[in-house]
Amino acid sequence: MESQKTINKDSNETSLAERQKKYYSHLFRKFVLLTVLCSLVPLLLVGWGISVYYTGFAKDRMMNSLRTEVEHHKRIIELFLAEHSSKLHLIAHSHSKGYLTQIANLNDIFEMINRDYWAITDLGIIDADGRHLAYIGPYDLMSKNYSQAFWFKEVMEKDLYISDMFMGFRKDPHFVIAVSRLENGSKWILRATINTEVFRSLVENVRIGKTGEVYLLNRQGIFQTTPRFQGNIMQAASYPIEAIYKGMRVKILKKKNGFPNERRPRQITCETWLENPKWLLVVKQNYSEAFNDVNHANYATLIFLHLSALTILLVAILSTRHMISAIKKRDHESDQLGKQLMQAGKLAAIGQLSAGVAHEINNPLAIVLTERQLLLDAAARHPIQCSEFEKQFKDSMNQIDVQVQRCKRITQNLLRFSRRTESVLETVDINQFIKEIIELMEREARASGIKFFVELDQALPALISDPSQLQQVFLNIITNAIDAHDAKPYGSIRIKTQVDQAHDGVTITFEDSGSGIAPENLVKIFDPFFTTKSVGKGTGLGLSICYSIMKQLGGNISVRSELDTGTEFVLFIPNRPPMELEKDMAMHEAS
Amino acid sequence: MIGSKILLVDDEVVFTKNMAKLLTNRGYIVTEVNSGDSAIRALEEKDFDVVVLDLKMPGMDGITTLKEIKKLGLFTETLILTGHGSIDTALEAIKLGAYDYLTKPCEIDELVAKIESAWQKKDGEVKKDMHEKIQKVVESPHDVFDLFPQKK
Repeated sequence: MESQKTINKDSNETSLAERQKKYYSHLFRKFVLLTVLCSLVPLLLVGWGISVYYTGFAKDRMMNSLRTEVEHHKRIIELFLAEHSSKLHLIAHSHSKGYLTQIANLNDIFEMINRDYWAITDLGIIDADGRHLAYIGPYDLMSKNYSQAFWFKEVMEKDLYISDMFMGFRKDPHFVIAVSRLENGSKWILRATINTEVFRSLVENVRIGKTGEVYLLNRQGIFQTTPRFQGNIMQAASYPIEAIYKGMRVKILKKKNGFPNERRPRQITCETWLENPKWLLVVKQNYSEAFNDVNHANYATLIFLHLSALTILLVAILSTRHMISAIKKRDHESDQLGKQLMQAGKLAAIGQLSAGVAHEINNPLAIVLTERQLLLDAAARHPIQCSEFEKQFKDSMNQIDVQVQRCKRITQNLLRFSRRTESVLETVDINQFIKEIIELMEREARASGIKFFVELDQALPALISDPSQLQQVFLNIITNAIDAHDAKPYGSIRIKTQVDQAHDGVTITFEDSGSGIAPENLVKIFDPFFTTKSVGKGTGLGLSICYSIMKQLGGNISVRSELDTGTEFVLFIPNRPPMELEKDMAMHEAS
Repeated sequence: MIGSKILLVDDEVVFTKNMAKLLTNRGYIVTEVNSGDSAIRALEEKDFDVVVLDLKMPGMDGITTLKEIKKLGLFTETLILTGHGSIDTALEAIKLGAYDYLTKPCEIDELVAKIESAWQKKDGEVKKDMHEKIQKVVESPHDVFDLFPQKK
């Protein structure tokens, strides 16, 4: 079973590790969420603001453009009608009925009017009774009487009349412009039929994008031109027509409102009433096409927002991961520091207690010794007669002395543990020091079948430290290493010194091939009074003293062990002890 | 020095009693007291060559007692005998004028050796003082009453 562990790891902390994992996951999610929220909310607000502003701006521009278009078309149509109305008015008022009823004269005028383009289909002179006095045109209308025609009635009342599209005698959609003149007490009418094709092309040939259309409606909602898409000339429009109004109206027709019975996309319309005749000019385009640029811009903004959000998410995840890793590291360091502080605090408390206990034990021991001495003095003054008793007396006195000395050693160890032993700082050559200690211990090690293997770094600097305390630490570790071979016939202790440039000090490794330390004991070995040795052999203070000495000297001690394979102690000693210790030493020297 | 006068100061009654017996057996004249106050009173009443003083005592502790002893200006050497074994306290005691220190439990022979060397130091100082006074008397005999005011 693999049981190798370091002192800084606790095998019983699985649940703690799980809790920590959950905590860090929670922290991770929280930080990511916060970062994303903090970054996305302003981004979305800015994106939304820009989009709203730009859309509004673009819509306004588009609608203005549509208005301009409608205005332009209205002017063209009105100019066309006004031009022909004026021409007819001029002809009627500059020529007499007699002159115009001469076919040759009327024909000259007809040709003159159509000289630039064929805008007039036919031309006729009609008297006040509705009879044709003269006619130039493709149809045979001389015999027709218009006294009942709606336009005849209108023009007899007004000077000028422009009709809506109607079928008439020719059975073809057309409209007329008629002017009347009062001559010698009787009215006559000059009537012209506008070339429907020319007029329709004037309106219908206007192309606005792929979905745009332009058409005219009369007050009854009858198409005066053929729309590009649904409907035909002279047909009724499928939606109601508003009453005549001034100006221009732009509407967005939703499917439900505009065309309840048709499947049409949303459309934008711009409408205006012509002055004469009262026709409604409608310019219509699909909303999606009209606002294509805006939609494109909105799509681009949306894609940009998505990309930005994705980038923010990625950056948030990466930065949070980095941050959590830093927090984990800090927490770990803090945890280690906390453990060390706890250990140090524990040792300090036990140290204080030990000093008290040592004092309390030393007093009765002193009394025991004085009692023993009194008995010895008495025995010297009054020799014991019985030899057997005398022998027992001497044995007991010796045993009392041995046990008192043993107790004294324990109390001295306790006092040393409580750091109340005097320290002296000197220059120490660690390599030389190791050699001397090995010399000291070699005999004992050899007796246990143990060999020393030494690997000394010749580049090791001379340290300023406390040789007596270091000696105590080294002796303790080597003694423990020798004791760890009790169950083995032979073994080895490897000692290695190394420069630790990163931490400005020296590392010394003691590696033995002993029985190792059980994982459950490994975490307790620096605790005072913890020992696995038999009663009377170990006080359980050795490694605690080593630990406190190493900490006092500003160093460190760590242990790794594998059961039945061996143990490795690694000591770190700084090149110089902590400033506080140097100051303390200086004060002691001064005193 | 056999016949030396020793003052034992320790709050442990059994210890002072036993130690007094042991030192008496070795020819010393021992007075035992169990507090700092009693020690000062004893020193005011009688002369002692060496004071064996415990540091940790209820009431007036060893350090305070030592300071009071020094205030008396006697030719008495003080040995610190403590169960505490604190080098800091012992160093403070020596700084205040204690001759040396021992930690409990200690062998009687060890204590006797320290008492002897303390007595020798005290004896040397007494002799030196006496010599200086005699020199002064020789130099100016009319000042003899100033040098030995108690005899005036």
